[in-house]
Amino acid sequence: MTFVHQHVWGWQIATYLFLGGLGGATFSISAILHLFEGCDRKMLSVAVLSSIGFLVLGTVFLLADMLQPLKAAYALTNPNSWIFWGVVFINFYFLAAIVYVIPLLEEWPKLLPIIKKIPTGILSLLERFNRLAALGGSAAGFLITIYTGLLISAAPAISFWNTPALPLLFVFSGFSTGAAYLLLLSTISKKEGAWKISEKLEQLDAILIVSELIVLGAYFNFALFLPTGARESAEYLFHSPLFIIGFFIAGLLIPLAIETYGIFFAAHSTKSKSLLAFASALVLVGGYLLRFYVLNAGLYQYPW
Amino acid sequence: MARYGMVIDMRTCVGCQACMAACTTENQTPFWSDKFRTHVEDKEKGTYPDVHRILLPRLCMHCENTPCLSACPTGATYKTRDGIVLVNYDRCIGCYACCIACPYDARYPYESDDVTREKELYGKNVTHEVPHVDKCTFCEHRIAEHREPACVSTCPTQTRIFGDLDDPSSAVHKLATSGKATALNQGLGTSPKVFYIPS
Ligand code: SF4
Ligand code: SF4
Repeated sequence: MTFVHQHVWGWQIATYLFLGGLGGATFSISAILHLFEGCDRKMLSVAVLSSIGFLVLGTVFLLADMLQPLKAAYALTNPNSWIFWGVVFINFYFLAAIVYVIPLLEEWPKLLPIIKKIPTGILSLLERFNRLAALGGSAAGFLITIYTGLLISAAPAISFWNTPALPLLFVFSGFSTGAAYLLLLSTISKKEGAWKISEKLEQLDAILIVSELIVLGAYFNFALFLPTGARESAEYLFHSPLFIIGFFIAGLLIPLAIETYGIFFAAHSTKSKSLLAFASALVLVGGYLLRFYVLNAGLYQYPW
Repeated sequence: MARYGMVIDMRTCVGCQACMAACTTENQTPFWSDKFRTHVEDKEKGTYPDVHRILLPRLCMHCENTPCLSACPTGATYKTRDGIVLVNYDRCIGCYACCIACPYDARYPYESDDVTREKELYGKNVTHEVPHVDKCTFCEHRIAEHREPACVSTCPTQTRIFGDLDDPSSAVHKLATSGKATALNQGLGTSPKVFYIPS
């Protein structure tokens, strides 16, 4: 039995997984907030546009890692492959997100002349399907986030990845980065409406971090008590200072402490604004490190 | 319709690596990048004084349940009617999903640098014209001419026995069903078509 580090998927794919989860979750949370809570439309448009940007950039990283990116359209051939579904989810998402965001752009006076060029028939159609696009896009965003975990869990010989706990971990982590990104936007925004929503977002992010900690505990518990490559992988991560300090402490515990402080002690005063922005940035860096290190820790278990 | 497979008799392998050399010249695999379709693992087992040397030639197992094929989004990885798992080079986008899914380290990237070097070495007569993920084909071009795979016909100790696993009169069928041969990593449910007689 030998354990060999996989070198097939490196930081480019980690970036793809990170941006996929971040983009999908940012859209899902924004659209759900819009539908059920109400949210500043200007901030919403920035959030949705950036979530599209994250997914475009993520796709670029995936393509850049391929040997033949120009033939990428062939990836829509085999429905047994997770990549096939990734392409379907991401394209469906793009469609829904564009339908959803165009009416929101009317909030930007500078963009109005461009929006006005769109025939009114189409604009009113977009308005009419706005809620549907929000719902469809949120579902697609969720599916993209879970897909980032399913993609790498389809590896029978990499036992650290080959578990349903991994997609679950990536969902909580992805949604936590999405909530953190929106929190960051709401702290930067000068509008009162945007800042108001930050209370919800900090609560959401704190809940997501706690859930992520629980899944993480279960995941490592499973990994450490099986005499397989998964244990070697878990031990490798325990001995990676940047994983422990960068992801676990700085990317989970410190933001959770700050958000808890924000919720219970700062009573949503503006004095916690910069602290919350700092916590959000930490969550984002931690989310990237998690994917980077999980990929790094992938060990094939070969029978020789 | 056949069901091609191989039995590897580890008792007779001497680790000469002639199979690796035969494969690389037959299939123009990038030996210059230290990438091969077949390897001979040279391992030690046990602790002093009870130590054994294990020589284990390995290649694609042409699995019946094929994780690489399921993972391949483009259909570039496919299975022939004779159960040989192949890659359509023109369709492969090089996403590496198959490399991640394969439990036997049977695949490697034939990168654009490798294609360039191949052209320098073999001139116009190249078999890998575009970058793609590469693996053992059981030398299906030779099978079509009723010849054995290059590694099999080269092996000086007849460690590799190749043939139709469904043909009861074939040596490979007899050895594979003799009870002496086992497959690697059976627990994964891949049902390999390469079997090993342990040393
Ligand atoms: S050994 Fe690997 S490449 Fe060969 S058929 Fe099995 S999974 Fe596919
Ligand atoms: S690298 Fe090629 S053969 Fe492998 S999964 Fe991707 S498209 Fe299929």
